[in-house]
Amino acid sequence: MSSHREAPEMAKDPVADSTDVYAFVSPDRPNTVTLIANYIPFQAPDGGPNFYEFGDDVAYDIHISNKGKGRADITYRFQFHTRIRDPKTFLYNTGPISGIHDPAWNRPQYYSITRIKDGKSKVLAQHLACPPVNIGPRSTPDYAHLAGQAVHTVGKRKVFAGQRADAFHVDLGSVFDLGALRPFQHLHLIPTPDGSGVNSLQAFNVHSIVLQVPMSEVTRNGIRPTNPAKSKSVIGVWASASRRKSRMFDKAEGRYRGHGPWEQVSRLGNPLFNEVITPMAHKDMWNARAPHGDAMFAKYVNHPELARLLPVLYPGVFPHLAAYHKPRADLHAVLLTGIPSGVVPGFQNFTGSVESDMLRLNLAIPPASSPNSLGLLGGDAAGFPNGRRIGDDVVAIELRAVAGVTLPLVDPSFTPDGAAGVLTDGTTDTNGGTTATFPYLGNPGGGYQTDPGTSAVS
Amino acid sequence: MSETSRRKLLAAGGAGVAAGAVALTVAPAEASEARRTSSSARESVVAYVHDHRSSEVRLMVGEREVVVHDRELATRILNAAGGN
Repeated sequence: MSSHREAPEMAKDPVADSTDVYAFVSPDRPNTVTLIANYIPFQAPDGGPNFYEFGDDVAYDIHISNKGKGRADITYRFQFHTRIRDPKTFLYNTGPISGIHDPAWNRPQYYSITRIKDGKSKVLAQHLACPPVNIGPRSTPDYAHLAGQAVHTVGKRKVFAGQRADAFHVDLGSVFDLGALRPFQHLHLIPTPDGSGVNSLQAFNVHSIVLQVPMSEVTRNGIRPTNPAKSKSVIGVWASASRRKSRMFDKAEGRYRGHGPWEQVSRLGNPLFNEVITPMAHKDMWNARAPHGDAMFAKYVNHPELARLLPVLYPGVFPHLAAYHKPRADLHAVLLTGIPSGVVPGFQNFTGSVESDMLRLNLAIPPASSPNSLGLLGGDAAGFPNGRRIGDDVVAIELRAVAGVTLPLVDPSFTPDGAAGVLTDGTTDTNGGTTATFPYLGNPGGGYQTDPGTSAVS
Repeated sequence: MSETSRRKLLAAGGAGVAAGAVALTVAPAEASEARRTSSSARESVVAYVHDHRSSEVRLMVGEREVVVHDRELATRILNAAGGN
């Protein structure tokens, strides 16, 4: 979660595994939009000697749809290449790394950015440097300095690609133990005393691509939107990762060689869509497809399995939800078309009738001065499901939505169960937090500084 | 050894050949029937026959996929894969 190891095949390919996507109006530069795509989940900071890095054999894409068809009208492609400075050492670094070009860093990584629009590709930048991972006080003594050096300016854009603290939070150990939510688990079918949520992403890092571009670069008409009611104010955003169609193992070099076109193996728009909406048997197929073909998954949105499970797992807690059998028009709007005008006063992020899983961001809605982590559910139209900010508690939002909190917006005859409005897994971001300025995601935890967690058999 | 198999040299597990792979050398008379053209690929190519009942051969070259419908080519690949 939100898309960490969410599909059976993708769980075996972490370098291409997209874990979270964020899209928000930049709070400190409100004429720009910030797009973030995270990959490579569950990075233990002390995972040396071969620390985490982007794949040289993967194409990482951030897509923009601005014509309402669920297709990529603009794609930013990031491709990486890695050097080994000294092939005679096994070390990631041969001394303290004081800068991103320090020769003591034995395995620097670089990347290019290509913008693809209307079938035409334009290379925006090449040989941009990533920072090293955060190893510890001897190897990366001033990590903030290293990360800062890896923020690049490309025209009017800013970009960063490298390790960050995972800001997503969820109690995986609990929710995948038959849907338990620790704060409410005395009500579970198999009851245990209530407890506090445990952030399963605590102490783990990810690799982030953070791109900030002028709004005018991603809108249909090339103009910064100012009217939230206009359809041109809304963009769809998703990320993907692709591998070459054929991979042959080159025994002489001990590595794979790619042949053929890039084929998408991972994608992510709305958090948790492929995680808890798509049935397991279809998850990898879903990953390989584009959003414009998502009509085939609409039945899983209209009748989500999780909405059927909640009344079973929490007997007597969700009687209204249990009795509701009509298609979930609220979830259909939130996840597949955007919310049309007239549903939430003063708000819309409708992209048309094409059913497609994308984050939908109305660029004309300014950043909130006091963001509410429940986003639109909390009365904050600048947050999820209007795009997604780093601090949005998407687990609580989606739990409550699936439980029926958003249903009265489209079906006034439905009254949500009392518990629906307070559902949460009880977690918060216990990692590096966010920063007020680009790249917004906090510095990654360091290997030396990290104590392994505890586990128990029973 | 049959006449057919004498026309080809099969070497499995020998020097320079990966375990499980089979190196097959076609007799010069057969090989000479095909000639390279000016647009011939100058890099490694992967050929893929997904359905042995079909004439379709997919060629992975560079960042392209070339789909060829050629019954003879598919048959020759299938025969070669069968070791004869």
